[in-house]
Amino acid sequence: MKKTDKIRGINPFKVPDNYFEDVNRKIISATAGTVNETNKLGLSIRLRPYLAIAASVAVLVLLSYTAVKIFLPAGETEFMPEISMQEFSESYLNDIDILTLEEITDPLFFSEEMPEVSKSEIIDYLLLENIDINEIYELL
Amino acid sequence: MSTPDQDKDLIQLLKKDVNKGFREVIETYSSKLYWHIRRLVILHEDADDALQNTFINAWKNIREFRNESSLYTWLYAIATNESLTLINKRKRNTTTSLEDIGSYLANSIEGSTWFDGNEAQTRLQNAILQLPEKQRIVFNLKYFDKMTYEDMSKVLKTSEGALKASYHHAVNKIEKYLEGD
Repeated sequence: MKKTDKIRGINPFKVPDNYFEDVNRKIISATAGTVNETNKLGLSIRLRPYLAIAASVAVLVLLSYTAVKIFLPAGETEFMPEISMQEFSESYLNDIDILTLEEITDPLFFSEEMPEVSKSEIIDYLLLENIDINEIYELL
Repeated sequence: MSTPDQDKDLIQLLKKDVNKGFREVIETYSSKLYWHIRRLVILHEDADDALQNTFINAWKNIREFRNESSLYTWLYAIATNESLTLINKRKRNTTTSLEDIGSYLANSIEGSTWFDGNEAQTRLQNAILQLPEKQRIVFNLKYFDKMTYEDMSKVLKTSEGALKASYHHAVNKIEKYLEGD
């Protein structure tokens, strides 16, 4: 470029005296204090990678689940090996509270059968609950 | 032009104290952005409005600013958008037709209190005003701001090849205008 090269770098525009000091002050006063702590630059930047990882994991889990549901025929989706309750409790439930473990491994927990209770035990219980003896005999 | 190191320091400061950091951003960038805006909108009063809107928008969106993009190109992109918004508003509000907006601005240059160019500089500004909007921005960013095509591509969201071609066409048109003047 020939003609333009001669005038390159010369700024023909002007501004009023002290313009930049004045406008900077004006902008600073217009923006100062109008932002809260959550507007800090670092927050979104710090959280963004973690959110991206969490979203990726969620998508992978969803895709795997969908793939299993779609491509395995019905009935074959039970891919957990058959194991005894003992093995299950030893292998998978180490973290569960021992009382909870005993409760759920008790055969009665999954059974609809109730243990045998004698009439005298029922009467004793009802008497303890302050139920009139005549009503008890009527009920039994 | 701000250096990448300067930008790095500003970003660190913004992370540490967003208010203080933004004050530094204003101090560092206000004159650079003003001249970029002024060359697009021509009138000082318009440039003043667009500059203030640029920083207010930057402030509102400071949390959207991504660390991986440069502060320099991010601010230039906002300033360019503000200038274009202002030019379009002027086009809507003026009785001047779209084709004549260049002549309107050219007349504004000559009648402006805040223009102090000699004959050659006035002719160059008039030639630039004959360019289509996008070419005018590309020419100004390359010729006056000495922006690299890589940065310009981030500011204008256009490929570097298209920007090079655009600048080449702009230069040819300006040369022709100046020779025929």
